[in-house]
Amino acid sequence: MRIGLIAMSGVRVRTEELARLGVTLPQFVSRGQVIASLPSLGLLTVAALTPADCDVAYREIAEVNADTALEPFDLVGISSFTAQIDEAYALADRYRAAGVPVVLGGLHVSLMPDEAAAHADSIVLYGAEGAWPALVADFQAGRLRARYEGLRTRVFDEPNYVMPRFDLIAGRPYNRMTVQSSRGCPLDCEFCAASIRITSSYQQKPVDKVVAEIRRALDVRKQPFFEFADDNTFVNKKWGKSLLRAIEPLGIRWFTETDISIADDDELLDLLAESGCRQVLIGLESPDPEGLAGIDPHNWKQGRGGDYLRAIDRIQSRGISVNGCFILGLDTHTPAIFEAVRDFVRRSGLLEVQLTVQTPFPGTPLYRRLHRERRLLEERFWNRCTLFDVNFQPKHMSVDELESGLRWLFGEIYNEREFLGRKRRYMEIVKSKLNQPFRTLTVKE
Amino acid sequence: MRTGTAGSTGTADIEAAVRAVIQDVARQETVGIGRDDDLVEVIGVDSLQGLQVLAGVENRFGIRLPDDELIQMRTIGRIADAVRRQQEARVS
Repeated sequence: MRIGLIAMSGVRVRTEELARLGVTLPQFVSRGQVIASLPSLGLLTVAALTPADCDVAYREIAEVNADTALEPFDLVGISSFTAQIDEAYALADRYRAAGVPVVLGGLHVSLMPDEAAAHADSIVLYGAEGAWPALVADFQAGRLRARYEGLRTRVFDEPNYVMPRFDLIAGRPYNRMTVQSSRGCPLDCEFCAASIRITSSYQQKPVDKVVAEIRRALDVRKQPFFEFADDNTFVNKKWGKSLLRAIEPLGIRWFTETDISIADDDELLDLLAESGCRQVLIGLESPDPEGLAGIDPHNWKQGRGGDYLRAIDRIQSRGISVNGCFILGLDTHTPAIFEAVRDFVRRSGLLEVQLTVQTPFPGTPLYRRLHRERRLLEERFWNRCTLFDVNFQPKHMSVDELESGLRWLFGEIYNEREFLGRKRRYMEIVKSKLNQPFRTLTVKE
Repeated sequence: MRTGTAGSTGTADIEAAVRAVIQDVARQETVGIGRDDDLVEVIGVDSLQGLQVLAGVENRFGIRLPDDELIQMRTIGRIADAVRRQQEARVS
């Protein structure tokens, strides 16, 4: 039996003015290109969960040409983000019309199961762990069910854990490999549409399993840059330090997403630098505590907002760049937010900045609240869930003010002068550390 | 170390120093890297490492490389040429 696993990747901005702007702003497009060029760790995990007697092919949507005949498979599995879900449905419909059964899975499918079920012979909710092996067995026995529920917890425990099939992407030109060390996040921000929506608790992978995955990935591609597919890696500092000590000897360079609390721990920061961490992405969301009210149920981020500048400096002084993420259009924001973000970015010395607009992804508490308050511009806007297109009525400004403010801020933050200024600031940090113990500049034996 | 004009360094010495900085930062031998080889393509120097290399070079030679040329400095030759120009400008 031959199973085709097809990953959807790449997100296009729908608002024309922003799309045009993206062409001319190198930093704006670069993060999107990075994400689009990552292999699908979820489908590589599905491949590993597939019984050994099945032949598995991994494909990306760019390889599925709409004008040519469909590649022959006995069963097709498709995973997609919200912004590309309609393209995923169209591909699923095409395969089903050709008589090939289709399984849909992923975050969007887990949050909108009834919608997805109309385009699939079967859907998988939550993680593939605990669902996919049974699904394949049922398919082979001719009794495929319409819906399977995977695990929401203990996904890294034996016997649920499997190592992703990195061998399936050998020879492909990825400049980054992905591994996952944790799933979920305890902060539970209202807007978050990441793995917290398919997990019932924050889960950490045993350190030895993370190391084994990195080693396996290194067998496939020498010296890749690793992107940890986590939403908040260092919630548990003790576990985090043991992870960092274990990956330091591997000599990799890597990126992850975490929260601002890493700046509280000098030992953790030193270990981050020593282990080859090049950049951490942190959701700052808004430049001052007032703007952070209500972001998460416990106002944890609001409590940290007054300390952002010091924390950013502490992290970047280790030679680790901070990619500071801001969300425009929060309910606390007025039109003054755009200048406030611009001024904060300049003061902070942030080396990378990600600007997005608040996006009510389906299935999130934010979506439910805005729907309840009748502030969604349309009922169904999935292809505009790009993080750059406005889909709701802001509380203290008009839609036009939010869109034009976003464009203005892009121009202020991503122009070449600011871009070079950020590079120069980083070089000055490095130079200031050269006469001190700066471990990332030390030759490893 | 040999020196040319007062306060400047010979081209070969500049290149050797640049190679030493790259070796420190990227943790890789530079013996097989040509003067015009793209460091990103040949040894996978990432953008932060590139800036660390340039910072190390500035520190080593006591110069400041032009900000508007930083992005183009992806080969040993370009970096060394920029160092030489800065040294010459300082001498004159």
